Amino acid sequence: MIANSIGAKRVEKVALTDVPPKLRYREDARLYRRLTIGLLAIAVLTPVCLIIYQSFLDGPFFSPRSQLSLSAYSYVLTDPMFWKALRTTALFAVGMVFIAVPLGGMLAFLLTRTDIRFKRMLEILVLVPMFISSIVLAFGYTVSVGPSGFVSIWVRDVFGFVPWNLYTLPGIIVIAGLSHVPHVYLYVSAAMRNLPSDLEEAARTSGASIWQVSRDVTLPMVLPALIFAAALNLLLGFETFGIPLVLGDPNGILVLTTYIYKLTTLFGVPTYQLMAVVAVVLILVTLPLVFFQRRLLRNSRRYAALGGKGARATPLKLGRQGQIIALAIIGIWLIVSVVLPIGGITVRAFVSAWGQGISLWDHLTLANFDRMLDVPSLSRGIVNTLLLSVIGGAAAVFLYLLIGLAGHRNTGASNTLLDYIVLLPRALPGLVIGLAFFWVFLFVPFLTPLRPTLIALFIAYMVVGLSYGLRLLQATLMQVSPELEESARTTGATVMRGWRDVVIPIVRPGLAGAWALIMIIFLREYATGVYLMGAGTEVMGSLMVTLLQTGAMDTIAALAFLSIIMTAAGLTLALRLGAKIHD
Amino acid sequence: MTITRRGFAALGTMALLAGSAWAQDVPAGYPADYAKVIESGKAEGKVVIYTSTDMAQSQGLLDAFTKKYGIAVEYNDLGTNGAYNRAISEAAARQMGADVVWSSAMDLQVVLAADGYAQTYASPEAAHLPEWAVYKDQIYATTVEPIGVIYNTGAIKPEDFPKTRPELIAYLNDNADTLKGKVATFDPEKSGTGFLHHTNDAQATDSFWDLAKAMGKDGVRTYSSSGSMRETVVSGENVMAINIIGSYAMDWVKGSPNLGVAFGTDYTAAFSRLALLTEGAPHPEAGKLFIDFMLSQEGQNALAKGGLPSVRNDVTEGLGFDALNAEVGGSLKPIAISDDLLTYMAPQKRVEFFREWNAALGK
Repeated sequence: MIANSIGAKRVEKVALTDVPPKLRYREDARLYRRLTIGLLAIAVLTPVCLIIYQSFLDGPFFSPRSQLSLSAYSYVLTDPMFWKALRTTALFAVGMVFIAVPLGGMLAFLLTRTDIRFKRMLEILVLVPMFISSIVLAFGYTVSVGPSGFVSIWVRDVFGFVPWNLYTLPGIIVIAGLSHVPHVYLYVSAAMRNLPSDLEEAARTSGASIWQVSRDVTLPMVLPALIFAAALNLLLGFETFGIPLVLGDPNGILVLTTYIYKLTTLFGVPTYQLMAVVAVVLILVTLPLVFFQRRLLRNSRRYAALGGKGARATPLKLGRQGQIIALAIIGIWLIVSVVLPIGGITVRAFVSAWGQGISLWDHLTLANFDRMLDVPSLSRGIVNTLLLSVIGGAAAVFLYLLIGLAGHRNTGASNTLLDYIVLLPRALPGLVIGLAFFWVFLFVPFLTPLRPTLIALFIAYMVVGLSYGLRLLQATLMQVSPELEESARTTGATVMRGWRDVVIPIVRPGLAGAWALIMIIFLREYATGVYLMGAGTEVMGSLMVTLLQTGAMDTIAALAFLSIIMTAAGLTLALRLGAKIHD
Repeated sequence: MTITRRGFAALGTMALLAGSAWAQDVPAGYPADYAKVIESGKAEGKVVIYTSTDMAQSQGLLDAFTKKYGIAVEYNDLGTNGAYNRAISEAAARQMGADVVWSSAMDLQVVLAADGYAQTYASPEAAHLPEWAVYKDQIYATTVEPIGVIYNTGAIKPEDFPKTRPELIAYLNDNADTLKGKVATFDPEKSGTGFLHHTNDAQATDSFWDLAKAMGKDGVRTYSSSGSMRETVVSGENVMAINIIGSYAMDWVKGSPNLGVAFGTDYTAAFSRLALLTEGAPHPEAGKLFIDFMLSQEGQNALAKGGLPSVRNDVTEGLGFDALNAEVGGSLKPIAISDDLLTYMAPQKRVEFFREWNAALGK
């Protein structure tokens, strides 16, 4: 209530001075905006169009024998297996959103708006499930809470039975939902961190409880971030591969991504056209989602909260009881979604065997890590992953910022295009988009020299990480109140100068956070690189996927453990860095 | 990337210097003009492999090859589908990157040859290989890897484990209660390897469908890799896993406390990793050298040492064909490289198989 009326007043004030500068405003950065968005559109739409084209053929697009045909569509759309997979996937995605969004939003509120204790440490811990590629996460769960997991065995010893079954659809949804909480947390907390606390304080002094404050004041102001997060999670649910593959597959739970997997062996040779059809279905799911999101957020100025006053956030006081409840909730969530899987992976990385009747102490070993040094492709993979995530991540943030600015306060048609292309790559299964990029680098003449280099992987990663990175930057940019830019403009600065001297300095703390996030995303990415990587450009995530085909679990566990350590180190550093800029 | 390339080059140069004193010699039994192949192969300086074999198992082979000829090996572990995909895509773009495709997907390798992606090259080593291991001077079998069963010794004692296929079927049927949901096998719908193992069984034996029905009775769970089945059997989640890659399993039992491996004494199939020289190979002579080296006694020793049993009998390390056959009970039946492998490439045959498979499993 309070937020709405104040927000409305702000809009009115702005509206009075709005008209004249806005006209010039659009004029002089138009070239930059169009150029940037145009280039991005080419980078995203080339692989997407290739996939769409492929779906209308009856063979590989590069085969001279292939002809235009709807046979792929008629096969997929009449396959009962497809419909079953689609239903399961929808259930999975929606269930995931219902678990991840409320929990992620609540975590963000507690960690950014209140005086909850152990804040610094918790801020790092809540992100941990994101560090790990979902294949490894799922694998970690089987080691800890699977039918023979060490936690399950302990519970059975104590209570006589195990009250859960990991290998059912609800089990998988809960696991996936909990592991996607950080995705929501990141978006929402980025938005919440910048909110001035005067509104919350006003509500608190007029007698509202913490619960009321969070629901009626904070929540409405971060609605865009929540909606982004929900939309994104829905897409992630449609695209998830690792968790259903490891936990659902052996028991016949099929989702769209594992259905694609199945299509390949079903025909002996890869049936690109069928994979493409499933990808097109996923694109069709995405488009209305973006449309819906755009309608909801049509008037994004309503959410401008970071005004010229430079208000500082003072945290809300939780009180003793509040502290205990909040910490208990976070604690339980952390145990389930961090301690269990990471514990599982860590145990697996340091033993040669586990399970019923096996004493882990007898099988402690460091041998799993020996291979890292012995096998060149593995050590190269570690170095390449570091390069891609640290340097590539920074480069990607820079590119996302350029793109974000091109879309910033852009009301033109190019912005509509931007909104639609951003989520497309995320909607496609990583394996499919990776394959499409492989084709692009293979068949587009001037790109072929890039194919055996890390640059090819970087471009693919950049596009796949677009939805995360750009949305994160956009959410931050959106909070810079227009009057700041407008005052720069009235004193004679160009749009570019306004961005350089006003907008970028204000959002700089957000950039360090974005870098950390992108670094994590690049580090855990596994599917995109499978087709693109070659000798010399191996990356850890994709190495795990190829290793999974033969099943070298010892090496996979060791790689997974290393990637967790690497990300944890990187994130701690980034947070330190970010925190300093922030204070 | 540059660093890596330079690293390769440096490695190559070093090996070249070390090896140049004697490597010019043509191996015994090779034609005299083989010296030319060696010379041009060395001039090419590099060989590119697309494969599905973990580097951990082939490292010895690659090192030995580079040491012998001073030719750097660019090793791409892409998985079976990845190797096939990349080869045909690159061929279409006229940028074939691989000299040798070395894959355990026997059927896909024959498809590559049938579709004209393989070069005809008569290896001088072919004379040392069994007849089934050579296909039209285009594809060569490099290993013999038995297909077997692993089981949890905590659940079934080694002396109680069925020895033959009929015994196994009877065991599955008789113990359906205790085995319910605890039997694993390859998913032929998701794993090309599993498809090959199962369809070969269906063709080579008349008991396969009885086995499938027995597994169905136990509520069999299906996986797409041998390694993930191993995890579940060691941990006790599953009691046994049927038709998995036995050469891996023979290695695994050495390090696992409660893992047993069994092969049918009446029938044990074996698959091979197949190598072919690609049409349009960027380094064709080096590719020939690599294939010949892989098939030579020296190369086979290196592979056998890495845990991949040899297709030859004269290896001095690891297992040769006869030694392996003795190990698995004397009824080793390798899957021959032949046009039969194309049978199940026909969509109709595949659909038929899957239908029968799902019916037998009661799905």
